[in-house]
Amino acid sequence: MSSPQGYAAPTRTVAVASSRKSLAAWRHSDGVQAIFWAGPAFLYLAFFIAYPFVMSLYLSVSSARVGSPEWHFVGLTNFQRIFADPVFWQTVRNSFVFTFASELIRLVIGLPLAFALNRSFKGKRLVQGLILIPFVIPIALSSLAWKWMFDSLYSVINWMLMTAHIIDYPWQWLGEPGLAMVSVVILNVWRGFPFSAVILLAGLTAVPTEVIEAAKIDGAGPLRRFVYVVAPIVRPILFVGLLYSIVFSFTDFSAVWLLTQGGPYNTTHVFGTYAYNVGINAGDIGMGASITLFMFPLLAVFVIVMLRLLRRE
Amino acid sequence: MSRNLWRAIKRDYGPYLPLSPYLFIVLFPFYWMIITTFKRDNDLYNLTGVPFWFKEPPTMAHVQLLLRDTLFIVWLKNSLLIGACVVVVTLALGLPAAYALARMRFRGNQAMSTAMFLSYLIPPALLFLPLSQLVRGIGFGDSIWSLVIVYPSFTLPFCTWLLMGFVRTVPHEIEESAQLDGCTRFQTFRMIVLPIIVPGIITASIFAFTLTYQEFIYALTFISASANKTIAYGVTTDLIRGDVFYWGSLMAGALIGSVPVAIVYAFSLDHFIHGLTAGALK
Repeated sequence: MSSPQGYAAPTRTVAVASSRKSLAAWRHSDGVQAIFWAGPAFLYLAFFIAYPFVMSLYLSVSSARVGSPEWHFVGLTNFQRIFADPVFWQTVRNSFVFTFASELIRLVIGLPLAFALNRSFKGKRLVQGLILIPFVIPIALSSLAWKWMFDSLYSVINWMLMTAHIIDYPWQWLGEPGLAMVSVVILNVWRGFPFSAVILLAGLTAVPTEVIEAAKIDGAGPLRRFVYVVAPIVRPILFVGLLYSIVFSFTDFSAVWLLTQGGPYNTTHVFGTYAYNVGINAGDIGMGASITLFMFPLLAVFVIVMLRLLRRE
Repeated sequence: MSRNLWRAIKRDYGPYLPLSPYLFIVLFPFYWMIITTFKRDNDLYNLTGVPFWFKEPPTMAHVQLLLRDTLFIVWLKNSLLIGACVVVVTLALGLPAAYALARMRFRGNQAMSTAMFLSYLIPPALLFLPLSQLVRGIGFGDSIWSLVIVYPSFTLPFCTWLLMGFVRTVPHEIEESAQLDGCTRFQTFRMIVLPIIVPGIITASIFAFTLTYQEFIYALTFISASANKTIAYGVTTDLIRGDVFYWGSLMAGALIGSVPVAIVYAFSLDHFIHGLTAGALK
């Protein structure tokens, strides 16, 4: 039985040597191959993300209108009109209030939830599944339930609050300026806090139990354990999750559009809804496009922060 | 005595107590949806008494109105068709791209990966105006195909990013040994990599489908004919006539419209949670 092996040995060396060469060739051809592998995806993105983005820059300096084929270059007229438009400034303020109120509340109610989920108990999978439902069901559909619950006459929320004697007359949730913003924030929080909680939970599970135990032995209470042990470990994950969440809130359209369409008296307009109103409903695409562009600098800041963070990790 | 009772409660229900208010907040709107769907109009608009249960026998009238007098079934078909097409397009473009970005060494790889990541952060609210011009320009105005070709613009970056993470978990050695056996890149990809990343493909499909099914602003902007609407768009517009809200039928539409995603979701919870955290954290 020794002779076949004797024959096999030299051929094998040859095979390995030649395959090393071809492995190198394999690698060498990657540059060409990548064009075929990744090319279609990037061609698609170029046409449906990069090109429309450039197009919106162009639209913002044009007099484009819905249904009219003629565009004229109008310079910065659209921007002058925006700056002179009080509704635009209201929109800017609303967008910030909407975003930061939503994020803050999501964190505040998401953190205890993440802690509550960060232990094993019977039916944990079911509970986790149920908690995530608002995030999965299309917001267009779930917002209808909220619109009905906020109804001016038949609001079940008012019924509960009045029965509990918390309020003594029916609130006009979607009809009163300040309250309308509260309502859209409630919807946005309801819809997004499961996401925050899952991200936080992923962060918490990344904290090794030994570290917590060690802190316990050293006599650290729950609060100090959180501040000095858990928080520093969770922070990077939390930060990335939060930035995502901020970007999505800041550029949200559906929650506001479906509940209030920006009303009453434009008190809930955010960039997306106001741009839609101007660009599509009023047909002034040029001005609509320039409104959307104001989201960009802020997004850029978020993205730069995020990339820095990712690089550091 | 009461202290012992409290201790017993805490022992048996400890983990559930802090969760119950969350579950209430999360689930109440859906409960309200269901109750409203089956309540008679008289009952819905009866302000006396506790509203949480039926005061009159339940009715199917709202569901019937939804199915008979609106194009609900057509919207549902549209949404499912669009979802299926977008999943296919996303995987067809995203899988090879993910493999190339995760595995091949070439100049510009880093920059292209970053570009993929960034394009996910460019929101529909920024692009819907130019895209509405674009789809009309290429002859897809007011058709469901306008959505099929545009939706991958948000599913593709997310899913490619997700799939890259899965491709990276495939050990280099397996691929190299396949190559030693004379496999080309494509054969290695098809016979070695694809079978290993099946969970990733499932996760990416789930996300592509749910993101598509949820989308609202593009549908609202591109589509106007009722027969071309998606579920999310049709239900929110066609059951509100002037100032009249058909609340019973609206809730029926919201309820039935939620079923497809709820089913997909129920069967893929672990994939879903994994994708959610991976997408955000990688």
